[in-house]
Amino acid sequence: MLLRRIMRHEARLLAADRTLLVVALILAAVVGYGVYNGASWAAFQRATLHAAQAEEAARYQELRTRLGSPGDNRPLPPDQVGLSLAARYAAMPPGPLASLVIGQSDLYPYYTLVTTANRQSLLANDELENPTHLLSGRFDLGFVVVALYPLVILALSYNLLSGEREQGTLVLVLSQPVGRRTLVLGKVLTRGLAVIGLAVAISVGGFLLAGGPTSSEGLARLGLWLAVVSAYGAFWFALAVAINALGRGSATNALALAGVWFLLVAIVPAAAALLVRVAYPVPSRVELIQAVREASDQAKADGPKLSARFLEAHPELARGQAEAKEFAVQSLAVQDAAEAGVADVLRRFETQLNHQQAVVDQLRFVSPAIATLETLQDVAGTGSARYTHFATQVDDFQERWRAEFRPRILRGEPIRSGDLERLPAFSFREEPFQAVASRALTGLTGLVLPALVVGTFGLAALRRYPVVGV
Amino acid sequence: MLLRIARKEFCDISRDGRFRGSAAIVALLLVTATALGWQSWQEIRREHDRAQAEAREHFDDQGEKNPHAAAHYGLYLFKPKPPLSFVDPGVDPYTGVSVYLEAHRRNEVGNRPARDATALQRFGELTAAAVLQVLMPLLIVFLAFPAVAGEREQGTLRQVMSLGVRPSALVAGKALGLTLALALIAVPALAMGVGVLIMAGPESARTWPHALALGTGYAVYLGIFLAASLAVSALARSSRVALIVLLGFWIVNAMVAPRLATDLARRAVPTPSAFQFAEAIRSDIKAGIDGHDPEDARLERLKRETLAKHNVETVEELPINFQGVALQAGEEYGNAVFDRHYGALWKAFSGQDSLRQWLGFAFPTLAIRDLSMALAGTDNARAHDFAESAEAYRRDLVKALNRDLEVNGADLGFMYQAGPELWKSMPVFRYRPPSLGATLESLRLAWWSLLLWLIATTGLVRLSTRALRVD
Repeated sequence: MLLRRIMRHEARLLAADRTLLVVALILAAVVGYGVYNGASWAAFQRATLHAAQAEEAARYQELRTRLGSPGDNRPLPPDQVGLSLAARYAAMPPGPLASLVIGQSDLYPYYTLVTTANRQSLLANDELENPTHLLSGRFDLGFVVVALYPLVILALSYNLLSGEREQGTLVLVLSQPVGRRTLVLGKVLTRGLAVIGLAVAISVGGFLLAGGPTSSEGLARLGLWLAVVSAYGAFWFALAVAINALGRGSATNALALAGVWFLLVAIVPAAAALLVRVAYPVPSRVELIQAVREASDQAKADGPKLSARFLEAHPELARGQAEAKEFAVQSLAVQDAAEAGVADVLRRFETQLNHQQAVVDQLRFVSPAIATLETLQDVAGTGSARYTHFATQVDDFQERWRAEFRPRILRGEPIRSGDLERLPAFSFREEPFQAVASRALTGLTGLVLPALVVGTFGLAALRRYPVVGV
Repeated sequence: MLLRIARKEFCDISRDGRFRGSAAIVALLLVTATALGWQSWQEIRREHDRAQAEAREHFDDQGEKNPHAAAHYGLYLFKPKPPLSFVDPGVDPYTGVSVYLEAHRRNEVGNRPARDATALQRFGELTAAAVLQVLMPLLIVFLAFPAVAGEREQGTLRQVMSLGVRPSALVAGKALGLTLALALIAVPALAMGVGVLIMAGPESARTWPHALALGTGYAVYLGIFLAASLAVSALARSSRVALIVLLGFWIVNAMVAPRLATDLARRAVPTPSAFQFAEAIRSDIKAGIDGHDPEDARLERLKRETLAKHNVETVEELPINFQGVALQAGEEYGNAVFDRHYGALWKAFSGQDSLRQWLGFAFPTLAIRDLSMALAGTDNARAHDFAESAEAYRRDLVKALNRDLEVNGADLGFMYQAGPELWKSMPVFRYRPPSLGATLESLRLAWWSLLLWLIATTGLVRLSTRALRVD
């Protein structure tokens, strides 16, 4: 009851002071701009995938005509079909909340052409982008939430108590029958409702503008997103209360809060990145290039020997050997040998990157900014987890694609018109929601815990708060 | 008088525990970043040198084969890491490190190291440049915001003025004292940087002028923040207001402007998707530029022209190998197509970059970012320059191999084979970075914007001291 009265009073004060209005307008503007940028990036990706799909469809149409035309329906050699003529795109559509955060999606490829030859095709499939843009990052809602939204909170609450004390109004308020903690709680709740409510409302608005929910899962993800945004906001409010409770002046509070903000948003993540890199250095791609080159040279040199061994290893294929072109067998054998030669180096990349990600997963408890960014990207489907999920599916599809063509190549069995429709096609399977949600909940714990700790400390310290004096 | 004020200010700051703490942190970060930057530069340079030599060995050891097969086997080039990248690695993590040169195709410089890192690096990396561009200005704001406003609030400003100290002398003295204190922070890292440049051999010795220009740029940049802080401190109603205005200036510059510039530039000068780009090149090569001159027709015409030139009836009678001629003609047509599309792409990129340079007039941090990357040799322009020289080298290499096929393979057709002597006689790729003059020339806008900011902020300081309020 009392709390509600304090809140009503605070709301009146905030409305009279124009800071809230200005801050709300700025927040609305940057959020709107962020969502706009995210949505146009997602649209760009969708258009690209659409163009790729159209190219594939046109190619298949041409093949169908070639194979189906009555006069000249010569079947096609399977190695050419698998290598280029019928190669399929593997595509990952923009994530369920892609317009909310661009995340790592400007750096990772989102489609690739799968052929019988190219394993690791995602490696060489970068989107064209000005490198300076990748370095600076994009102005998306993720950036607004992680970096700017705390500033809005701090701007409204750095002088939560110190401001009133400096004006001399704090004594007046506290001469009424009201406790300090109730007063602070009322102030924080009012501001919290205003700012977090605004952030939530604009996020939802942006989400609707960008196309809205496509499934119930999209809504559930939006719920997680809003929970993260609220928990992150709560942390910064708790921090502002704690700093205020130390009883210093407004300028000192502002200084301290700005310092902590910069520490958590920039310095700790940069130091953490450094730590991760030093602890689990990833071997250089330069080394990989050399390894690939050497393995394939070696395999080519050993070619004739290899094809004999290849047939030994695949006795089921030896039956068709008579028809199989010697060249085809040899090139498959060379391919296998070359890939086996670099498997070790590739595995090293994979294990080091997995180690790195595991450390990062722990390090997000060091800074709420890390926890927030990681979780927001994860929930939106623009982080590294969804990309890894996609890469695994591409690998599987590549295996299936090969398995379709290799026996035909070795048997010398051509592709006929009816075979075309039976070729495997890639379709992206979204990560199960439970997996995303459980990761997001860990991230949320990394936000709620520090908020509780800092908030409890702040409320405890309020007991000793000097009401008078500067 | 001025020196006395400076000394007082310097003592004041250096006795402040908060200053000591933050100065120690900043100095430590700066030294760590410089040391790590240097170490990673050395590592990468060694690795690239070794890889470059090995790649060439692979090319030389190909054995007997058709020169065109050798052109298909191709060669890897690795981007050299410039010495000053230990100060500012710039866009290097986001541009590729290697390019594969082969016949018929222009490949992108690929393998962006950033792909092998976690999302953490998108928060920004801990580099000497980041400390100087972002952290030092914040420290300046923290130290300088109460310079005048604080004295006014304490009432000491009135006393100082009553002694007959001129306001301009007071502010100048404070500026000097602050500069000394800040210089102390930079000294260890600076000494280290100089040491590194002296020890690291002839390659880094050539970058002295760049290092000096870089140092000047940073001095001007930090001077802007110092002058702005003093001016705001003198003009503001209270030290609280001064702090908030200055923090706002810093946040907009260091945190918001780079990202704002990204999205503005992307909108102003859009670039095609990699898919569109590759499709356009493919169709231009196949159907001719603008679809007017298909590949078969081009080949037929070339055949007619070559036969007429040598005055013979059939390809077999030619004194040269027609395959070589045809391959080189195809290569040249492809090159024209590449020039057209890559030219347009890089024009768009440099349009985006120059938009960012213009934005430097509004946000000095953008200007120093460009300046720092360019002088360190780690900016877009350098990446472009490397890609272009690699492409020029590819054309020379493929042309020389086709030429050999044309001249020496006359009666053998595709059966002709050349040996290691030919591979070894191919030119060696050496990347020559653009001269300092050219680099500075391309940075005209950045220099101007920094200078204008310095003039404007120092002018503001003078103005604010002319009518200094005591309370």
